[in-house]
Amino acid sequence: MKTALAILVLLVAGAVVAGERDTAWSPVVYPEQRLPLVFSHAKHLARGATCTNCHTDAQRSRSAVDNLIPTEAACRACHPIDRNQPDKQATPIAACAACHLGFAKDQPVQRVYLTPSPLKFDHSAHGKQTCESCHGDMTKVDLATTRQLPTMSSCFGCHRQDTGDCTVCHLAKIGGLMETSFPHASLVPSSSSLGDMHGPGFDKDHKQQARRLDATCNACHDRSECVECHQGVVKPADFHQANYLLVHAVEAKRGKPDCSACHRAQTFCVACHERSGLGTRGDTQFNSRDPSQQFHPPGWATQGMGPNLHAAVAKRSIGSCASCHREEDCLACHSAEAGALKVSPHPPGWRGSMRCRALDRGNRRMCLRCHVTDDELGCDWQK
Amino acid sequence: MLRSACVVAAMLLASIGTPRRAHAYEFWLRARTYGQAYQLREYRLVGPDLFLGRHRISQMLALRIYDIGDLAAARKLARMPDHGPRITWQSYLRIDHDFGTFTSGRITLPGPIRRDALDVIPELSESVAELDLMYGYLQVDGLFDDQLQVQVGRMLIDDGWATGAFDGGAAKVQLPVPIAVSASAGLRVRAASPLGVGSYELDGTSGAGCREYVEGPTPGTGSWQLIDRNRAIHNSRLSSDYEYCPQREVRQPTIGFSLATLHTHGVSAEVGYRRTWSETVGVIGPVDRLDYPDVGLYPNEVGQAPATGVNEERLDARVHTDVHVGSVTLLPYADARYSLLHGLIDRADAGVRVQKGDHSIEPAVEYFFPTFDGDSIFNAFSLEATTDVRVAYQYAPSGPLRAHASGWLRTYDDTPGLPRVAGGLDGGIEHTFGGAWRARVDGLWDDGWGGRRVGAAGDAAWKGHAPVWCRGRVIVLGVNEDDATSALSRKFVTSSAVVSATFKIAETIGVHAIAETDYDAIHDLQMRVIGVIDLAFAPEP
Repeated sequence: MKTALAILVLLVAGAVVAGERDTAWSPVVYPEQRLPLVFSHAKHLARGATCTNCHTDAQRSRSAVDNLIPTEAACRACHPIDRNQPDKQATPIAACAACHLGFAKDQPVQRVYLTPSPLKFDHSAHGKQTCESCHGDMTKVDLATTRQLPTMSSCFGCHRQDTGDCTVCHLAKIGGLMETSFPHASLVPSSSSLGDMHGPGFDKDHKQQARRLDATCNACHDRSECVECHQGVVKPADFHQANYLLVHAVEAKRGKPDCSACHRAQTFCVACHERSGLGTRGDTQFNSRDPSQQFHPPGWATQGMGPNLHAAVAKRSIGSCASCHREEDCLACHSAEAGALKVSPHPPGWRGSMRCRALDRGNRRMCLRCHVTDDELGCDWQK
Repeated sequence: MLRSACVVAAMLLASIGTPRRAHAYEFWLRARTYGQAYQLREYRLVGPDLFLGRHRISQMLALRIYDIGDLAAARKLARMPDHGPRITWQSYLRIDHDFGTFTSGRITLPGPIRRDALDVIPELSESVAELDLMYGYLQVDGLFDDQLQVQVGRMLIDDGWATGAFDGGAAKVQLPVPIAVSASAGLRVRAASPLGVGSYELDGTSGAGCREYVEGPTPGTGSWQLIDRNRAIHNSRLSSDYEYCPQREVRQPTIGFSLATLHTHGVSAEVGYRRTWSETVGVIGPVDRLDYPDVGLYPNEVGQAPATGVNEERLDARVHTDVHVGSVTLLPYADARYSLLHGLIDRADAGVRVQKGDHSIEPAVEYFFPTFDGDSIFNAFSLEATTDVRVAYQYAPSGPLRAHASGWLRTYDDTPGLPRVAGGLDGGIEHTFGGAWRARVDGLWDDGWGGRRVGAAGDAAWKGHAPVWCRGRVIVLGVNEDDATSALSRKFVTSSAVVSATFKIAETIGVHAIAETDYDAIHDLQMRVIGVIDLAFAPEP
């Protein structure tokens, strides 16, 4: 097993070292663009143009849906474009092919496709910021793409990420949850997001992500979704895969995954085990007094000499005992009352131990289940 | 007193009777109706197993009502972030009805005596006909310049290891320093609470206090005994001690406090405290024992029974941090829970998630010591802690190929006859093809305490443009149960096939159908069918 673990660690380390992809710009937030254009921001800025010379509406825009890309009319302010002279030679350049990639006479010009970003964004509210603070240094950029749009992490340079109110920027649907389904794709947390990427193992392993104080689960998921699975009445098929009833004993005995995250042994498990004839109260054919009908193996509960296996198993997996037995079953032997076998379950040094004192101080009712008389109670040897 | 009451009543009536402006609040409703039909086995040592029908109808209703009173409407219209008072309602109601023979059938006890299954196994009542309010609370945000949040109603308690709920109130105050103080108080939700939920109970006390005093030949010479299983059960609290378990029905006051960091970049931490206790009911002294019917639970001849007992008392702490080193993000965390009732740490874990691009790897250590409700004697039998070492890996790019793998190892105390370790590996690869098809293959191997399992699963899903989605899965698993606890431990191979389809009737309305067949040499072929009407259907990505 150690070898297998070592191989796993090596494989994983290798995969991590193998490199990363640029995932900061979500294709859902910034949908794919088609820009069959030739353009250089660097050259325009070098010639003294400012951002607002061309993006005239940017400072007034209040919505991410606004199209702030300059139109041909804006270019004409400097470029003497004439549609009747597609090859026109001029300074600054005015030929259609100078800007329109693959331009050919008598052929339709390739269209520019820009799908609006599914975000709320108010340019006018960011007027005090420089354009570069969000869009970066454009003096080195030719054609601007989604890579010149701000990423979420750059927003967090100024805005707090732990407010939990994702819908300040992301679109909300009725009820206030984030809209995650769009015609072009669905929005799910990515690896570049807040440490909550929903990989293929996420459904079984999201404890730590959910436990973070700044967890953003409730931005997309209503709390009822958590309860529906964790306190549910329908077997979650991805978690407890088919025929789980038959094979669950292996996991239950280990308590891995942690059954108590969703189930209570003393209600959920006991009810089903009893009804299935595996308990002590229902229509069971098991009989602890008849060796041929015992559920547990020979030597399970022996007094005096014998393996008395149940002691070791109870010590290791008391949770699985509680999934069938009620406290009374243990009391039959372990009670210190008159008439009982008075087999002490306590380890050496129990009396006087911190645990004994803590339990006795907190809830003596538990002690009273076995110890009735006053001199039996308490954790003080001298009593 | 009466006069004051009349004045208040008159004011209330006047308030109700006054015409007022109608408001249309924004609300969100999520409703799901599950219908399930399947059979469960009643195992027989002699002859074939019996089959018990389980027919379940479950209705879930989640409701969110936003901005009650339109207090935040102006800012919403102006596209400004929320600020100032906002009132919200959130609730989740569930109706669950099980009308098959599994819960509603009869059981033959030795005698033979025929009894309703519910009389013999009261725990079954959790699913017979339940109306559960899982949570439902009114929340007021943004009070005192966004410094105070107040909640009233049924709220969830979740320390990350188990979920419960309480009926009461909670407040969260943001201090001038980046710390928030929370306090809550109320009654813990039990199965016996109004619209109570059994799964919110602290575990370990199914039969808490369900004992009876059986009188001896002369008054006062009797003893406390387990309830006689062969006694006639009349299903009446007045005539049967069997269902007289008042310790399970007594109110459990609970209080909680926490200190948490707020808006601290890169690090978040919380320290919390919760205490739940209950009155001792059924205290009985020597004189009471002479009365009939005897309804006492705890002997108290010399005042040995306490007036109250603690059911849980815990301190918990957690810390999460974010560290960015070049293109690598480190997310270390640590959590611990100390049970003051048991005088020990019962839960702890620590680990670090390392993310680089689309890859993440998370080594972690987890510690667990089983603890139960303070009333449960299982606390006395819980003696051994376990520590797990775990490594999980994920590859989750936005591209078509995704993968995960994990491995874990646990060691136990050295006990003759029992395996000393347990551990396992699992992993899987998922691939999408052109957006419509998705295929996934998973593998599993584990061994040690509990048994050995080796298996694989193949999964294919199709989501085209049509309003129908389909998914199929095949699983083959070999199991070799360890024989330490059961004389019936088995070695078998089981295979399963699951087919599911979703039909989108209209926007946000869908119908899901799931059919499952399982085959194994022990039980032969089994089938299960589930239907779901989903009134808040949103397709999975």
